[in-house]
Amino acid sequence: MIRRRLDLVAPPLATFAATTLLAELAIRAMRVSPLLLPAPSAVARAAWTQSALLLPAFASTTRCTLVGLAASALLGILAAIGLASSRLVERAFYPYAIFFQIVPIVAVAPLLVIWFGYGPRAVVAAAFIVSVFPVIANTLAGLRSVDPALRDLFRLYGAGPWARLVKLELPWALPFVLTGLRVAAGLAVIGAIVGEFVGGGGLGVVVLGAMREQRTDLVFAAVGYASLLGLSLFALVNLASRLALRRWHASEEGG
Amino acid sequence: MRRVAALGALLAAVSLCACGGSRDGKLALALNWKPEPEFGGLYEALRTGAFASRGLPVEVTGGPGAPVVQMVESGQVAFGVAAADEVVLARDRGTDVVAVFATYQTNPQGIMVHAARKLSSLADLFAAGGTLAVEPGLPYVKWLEKRFDLSRMKIVPYGYSIAPFLLDPMLAQQVFITAEPIQARRQGADPQVFLIADSGFDPYAAVYITSGKQLREEPARVAAFAAALRDGWRGYLDDPAPANAKMGELNREMDAETFRLAAAAQQPLVETDFAKQHGLGAMSLDRWSELGRQLRELGLVDHEPDAASCFADTGALAGGASRP
Repeated sequence: MIRRRLDLVAPPLATFAATTLLAELAIRAMRVSPLLLPAPSAVARAAWTQSALLLPAFASTTRCTLVGLAASALLGILAAIGLASSRLVERAFYPYAIFFQIVPIVAVAPLLVIWFGYGPRAVVAAAFIVSVFPVIANTLAGLRSVDPALRDLFRLYGAGPWARLVKLELPWALPFVLTGLRVAAGLAVIGAIVGEFVGGGGLGVVVLGAMREQRTDLVFAAVGYASLLGLSLFALVNLASRLALRRWHASEEGG
Repeated sequence: MRRVAALGALLAAVSLCACGGSRDGKLALALNWKPEPEFGGLYEALRTGAFASRGLPVEVTGGPGAPVVQMVESGQVAFGVAAADEVVLARDRGTDVVAVFATYQTNPQGIMVHAARKLSSLADLFAAGGTLAVEPGLPYVKWLEKRFDLSRMKIVPYGYSIAPFLLDPMLAQQVFITAEPIQARRQGADPQVFLIADSGFDPYAAVYITSGKQLREEPARVAAFAAALRDGWRGYLDDPAPANAKMGELNREMDAETFRLAAAAQQPLVETDFAKQHGLGAMSLDRWSELGRQLRELGLVDHEPDAASCFADTGALAGGASRP
């Protein structure tokens, strides 16, 4: 078991260590200006010395991302169920759901401040807008791909629409939903940070301030924290996926 | 959105840093904003051939979000436009850039409020409270925090739109005196501006910079560049209309009337008594020393910079006169 874990964790860690070392050596050897590209050691130092600034910002971005992602999960699944209810509904509304995917968040972000005011609400809204579409699209694909034989079986036994949804369609769509959430998790982090550029607070403001103060090391440190958040959310979704699917679905079996 | 674009542009600059400043024999000059009256003298110099006649094939590049300091340092462009405080910060971070011409003798940045609030000063505003929209990390915000008590203000990021200001009578925001107040007035608001400079923090603005390397290797070229700018600004101050028309073609978002008003608004900040005496664009050692001291006190630089190395005397003060 431990051996297996090691096999799992060692390759990415080795890649990380090798790339970091290589970057450090290359940047030092080529004497790249710290303003253009700081060495990993300088970024680590900034992450450490500026932790009083970065940690509360990280916590704030995390909160807004989680709320935005939760809203995407809930409303995205509900929207997909609605869209799947009939072809007519899908045809009427699905094109507008796509709006969420193509909306240039950087362009509408200033409007979010006007609609929601400065602060976490605008940030959550930005995280939601960019992360809801993958949930809708994947859930819909899952609901649409239910085995017709099983559908017939449910009909044969006289199951109502509610039973069909809860006992057949949603479980069937679950792996799709989780795939959607995996994509949404990373996007929600991006959305939250763009939201913070205009709404205030969190890592977004740290990045803006560090840019302005020409502290490129701090910019990268903040980006590092944002990546950490994205990775953690991804891992969280993977864990949920494992727990939910390992007993019955091919994608997680044998874990 | 200037900063968002800057992130992308920074990466672009990193990947392009091998390029030279004189591509195809051109002398690239990176702006940090769209063609607006703050660059009036530059466009006048381009229009009248003040650069060309001195053998300087200047080509304008950059724009909002361009990481100008990085571009100049890497040699990607020969000249750039930045603020004096950016120069001090860059030098403190080990970046060898030098100021050669200061457009604004008095800093044009200020805080805009609704006149209906009947405030009479920055101190008044900070005592009254409300929302303050400013770009995170602006040195002068740190200065205001130190000089005044901002605890009654709710500080939010400025997103380069005056819509929140127009909608909220209690909102105060950062401005360039040549831009947002004119826009706000034309959209029906009654704005009032308090200049940051009046509170004692007054870095030169719209400063033309070059790399220390170019200054050492091509001092004559740098001096000629500054002289051409000086000619351009003289012409622009006397009659801004031709250069405004030219900039208007490049920047369709701003109409002719706004150009005219902005040019008029900035005139006293460009042609101060000091500039009349020492030449347009001239800079003084005392001002740079004071800026260095202030930035050190604000904790924005680790060491007080050597003020004399921040800027170059390009001939405005030449002819035997010592630096003011």
